[in-house]
Amino acid sequence: MSCAIWEERVALFSGGDLGTAEAGAVERHLSQCAACSALAADLRSELGELRQAHREPLAPEHYAAVRARVLAELAVPPRRSVAWPWAWAAALAVAAAGACVVWVIMKPAAIPAPELPRLVAAAPKQSRAQRAPRQGAVISTHVRRRRTERAAPSVNERRRSELAEVVVPPPPAPPAAEDPPVRMVQLATADPNVVIYWLFEEKGEER
Amino acid sequence: MKTLALAAAELGDQPEGRDATLEAARAGDPAAFDLLMRRHERLVLGTAYRLAGNLEDAQDASQEVFLRLYRNLAKLDAGNLAAWLYRVTVNVCHDAQRRRPSTVPVDEAPELAAAGDPQQTAGEAERRALLRRSLRVLSEKERAALVLRDLEGLSTAEVAGVLGSSVATVRSQISKARLKMRDFVERSSRRRL
Repeated sequence: MSCAIWEERVALFSGGDLGTAEAGAVERHLSQCAACSALAADLRSELGELRQAHREPLAPEHYAAVRARVLAELAVPPRRSVAWPWAWAAALAVAAAGACVVWVIMKPAAIPAPELPRLVAAAPKQSRAQRAPRQGAVISTHVRRRRTERAAPSVNERRRSELAEVVVPPPPAPPAAEDPPVRMVQLATADPNVVIYWLFEEKGEER
Repeated sequence: MKTLALAAAELGDQPEGRDATLEAARAGDPAAFDLLMRRHERLVLGTAYRLAGNLEDAQDASQEVFLRLYRNLAKLDAGNLAAWLYRVTVNVCHDAQRRRPSTVPVDEAPELAAAGDPQQTAGEAERRALLRRSLRVLSEKERAALVLRDLEGLSTAEVAGVLGSSVATVRSQISKARLKMRDFVERSSRRRL
């Protein structure tokens, strides 16, 4: 007969860990089962021997050694470790890094440049007789930047580009009477290496 | 059966929580703390020795337990001191075993006890050594439950309180531990024959 289901209760019974009702049930089973009865006897015997084996006291010097070690440890004044300055420096560095991160996250977004009206350089409507050579005018206009391989421009560079000066130089020497005048507009960009020249012929309505 | 209350009374702990030695130790009196250690050293070192299985680790664990006692003097109640010491001793021993698991095979483990009684027969001494070694085949929790219940004599409910488990869990751990111990002793005895 398999008594596996009784083993746990027999083990508790042998140590006196069962209540009256459970102990009574185990006793009834033990009276009918030789295997479980032998198991209970073995367990009781071994528990008794185990208690006896551990009853031998430790030598007094073992206790004294522990006390001495504890008192010696407590007698040493708490000292600051050499690592403390480094710990403080590391903590400050971490705090500074954290502040930078917070600043980057919380800073206001870059103010976008206002949309400027698109201006077109055009010659004033006037008769040819009224025209006088210009000394040069500066007109603000909206100029598109060329795409280049450069890194992304800064906000200031972008504004400068958009508000590039358009220098209208004086017209060239008057050509032959019948030829329409050729005008040139020089567009300066933020990149000093890029200058745009715009040449066009003027064809007024009065012609 | 010894209970925690009885153990506390034997150790001089006052159930109502007033203990002149404890109060003097709290005030920083080293002699009072030394007396407190003497009162509880059998509990702490004895339990640690049974859990750790060797004297060196048991002494290390006991030192740590008493240092923790010193650091927590202000928070401790004299009536609960024995239970607190059992709990801390078990925890310190478990921490130490996790950091440095034993590499000594069970069958080759040296005898754990101090020098035996010369009047004992060789067979009896061998049998006791075998029983001591049988604790090493148990899991950490089973060993703690068996040591506290069968060797320290705490009740099942007190063991559950110390280990932070339910009574049902402790009963299961104790019964499994007893059966495993018995199997180990039986197998070892058969091998020697």
